[in-house]
Amino acid sequence: MTRTPVLYVERFSVFQRFIHLLIILSFLTLAVTGMALKFATEPWADWIARVGGGFEVLGALHRFCAVITFFYFFLTMILLYTSWKESDKDLFEFIFDPEGLVPNLTDLKEMIGTFKWFFGGKRPYYGHWTYWEKFDFMAVFWGIAVIGSSGLALWFPEQFSRLFPGYWINIATIIHSDEALLAAGFIFTIHFYNTHLRPEKFPLDPVIFVGSVPLEELKHERPREYDQLVASGELERIVTRRAPAAWLRRLATVFGLFVVTTGSVLIVAIILTMFKYIQHN
Amino acid sequence: MRYKDTLLPRIGKPVGFLLILLAISAARVSALTNDDCLGCHGDKSMTTQHDGKTISLYIDGDAFKKTVHADNGCLSCHVDADVKGDEHPVPLKPVDCAACHDKIGERYAKSAHGVAMAKGDKFAPRCYDCHSKHDILKPTDPKSTTYPLNIPYTCGRCHQEGSKMTETHDLNKHNITTNYSMSVHGKGLFEDGLIVTAVCSSCHTAHDVQKASDPASSVNRNNIIKTCSKCHVGIAEQFQKSVHSPLVTKTNKKLPVCTDCHTDHSIARVNQRDFRLIIARQCGNCHEHKTETYMETYHGRASLLKGGERTAKCSDCHGSHNIMPAQDPSSTINTANIVKTCSKCHPNANQSFTTYLTHATHSSADKDKYPYLFYTFWAMTGLLVGTFAFFGLHTILWVPRSIIERLKAMTKQHPH
Repeated sequence: MTRTPVLYVERFSVFQRFIHLLIILSFLTLAVTGMALKFATEPWADWIARVGGGFEVLGALHRFCAVITFFYFFLTMILLYTSWKESDKDLFEFIFDPEGLVPNLTDLKEMIGTFKWFFGGKRPYYGHWTYWEKFDFMAVFWGIAVIGSSGLALWFPEQFSRLFPGYWINIATIIHSDEALLAAGFIFTIHFYNTHLRPEKFPLDPVIFVGSVPLEELKHERPREYDQLVASGELERIVTRRAPAAWLRRLATVFGLFVVTTGSVLIVAIILTMFKYIQHN
Repeated sequence: MRYKDTLLPRIGKPVGFLLILLAISAARVSALTNDDCLGCHGDKSMTTQHDGKTISLYIDGDAFKKTVHADNGCLSCHVDADVKGDEHPVPLKPVDCAACHDKIGERYAKSAHGVAMAKGDKFAPRCYDCHSKHDILKPTDPKSTTYPLNIPYTCGRCHQEGSKMTETHDLNKHNITTNYSMSVHGKGLFEDGLIVTAVCSSCHTAHDVQKASDPASSVNRNNIIKTCSKCHVGIAEQFQKSVHSPLVTKTNKKLPVCTDCHTDHSIARVNQRDFRLIIARQCGNCHEHKTETYMETYHGRASLLKGGERTAKCSDCHGSHNIMPAQDPSSTINTANIVKTCSKCHPNANQSFTTYLTHATHSSADKDKYPYLFYTFWAMTGLLVGTFAFFGLHTILWVPRSIIERLKAMTKQHPH
């Protein structure tokens, strides 16, 4: 940590940042290895398989990262459980906390407000989580449930078919493959753009790696959260002059850009391939 | 030297007269001995000029004595060399092997090589192009040009890609010698030194070589099974009982022969990568929809990637030479046998597992057959399109606003 005249506020704890790092590493690997199989007819997919050492290696990596996915899903549940216990709220209140992760009516209003803002209206009075950030979180939750369960069916088809008809494996294949295309497509375009690549943030918002944001940035981007922190007097308690360490910022930039580039290249290859398929049919 | 002058007085005129009669009647049994010929042709320096090239006329008499024709006199082939004087007419007429080997001569004349020869094709092989001239050994002699280990080289002199013959003739097949040497038969020969492996003549015959398009050719579609069966007897027996055999399936459609699946010159070992990678395509030449839909499944997809030769191929489930329709009790995919078939790779396979659709697609062509796949796919696609439509629009509309915000932030930082 470096002391600066700039005031900082922590946005992500070390635990949260660790979970996100696990997500990045596993998700990127799952996407690369899975898309190589889905688009096996394409030269770029064969290139991935050759670099990786064959489809069996890709399969092993894919399953390993599936385990990491279930692991971080479990860690997230622990995280949610501990935040609930610390919050003095009952379960219902915690889940539907107006400032929590579950979308609510305010989000709908902010979404409409955002479209107005695009056309020159006033910037919405965003809080701790914007609606697109909530969507990212809920989408990963939903995605893990859908891709994870269908993936388990494909991983253990013999056991799965003892419980369900064998042709459900065909259905699981379609669901797994298309939901994964949606997930990878969403993360590598929409999430990358909303969080990192949009001109206000370009080329990278390092907060998920370094943890804290300058107070000024918070005040500008999330005015409702800022006002709430001021009103509750909590801001005094959490504000700090300790900026993220320079090495961490550099590492975050290099790593973040590597990941964003890899994901972008993959999605470009996928989009070009999809265009080719559509042209052929 | 005057042989006849010295020979006759010794035996006596009556005998001599009889001998002459005999000589005439017995196709002129030579009066000249091989030693006589070698009197000149035994000289290593004996040469002649032809088309500006120096050609050796030397004959190795000792080597000739080891050939199959050792007991023949020079004149039995070079009939026009039998002259009275020292010197025979030059050049001698081409040797007519068919004078003795008449049956082979007849077959050769009908072969693609013989027909080309008759048409004046200067690349058409004469007997000696394959058998050599004065060095002809039994095909069982390792030094013979027709010994199995040497045949690919003998044929390759003309048939190797890039030779004058291949460059001047319109041939259906290319790189045949290279492909052959990479094939299971070629490796058997060149790597394992097997003389029982198939060489050119094993399939194409020696003297009856015909283009594959000729119905009489040993490699014509209709004769291929018979040709391969010469060695692969057990396989042929299985095949003749299978659904692909014309004895079992009466149809106007083309039934497959050995080469349709295995290819010809580049034929690979069936457990090797090369073969396993092409088999789906080979079957797909007839079973197009089956191959297309197989490629949509995990087995097919993975088979396209590095290492993909190990996933299940057509023959792993359907068998190869013993393929039977699914309803036949002996079929590998008959309900009575399918669990066992799947178990080869999936040890815990069960009856429910085998209802996995190995050729199913979500395409509209199969909508009636597999509606649940069709609707699942379109539901997923709807979700995908819907999500991207919304967020795509959201993102595109955000771009100009975001640029404005960035510019505002920059002017705030550096006020002018």
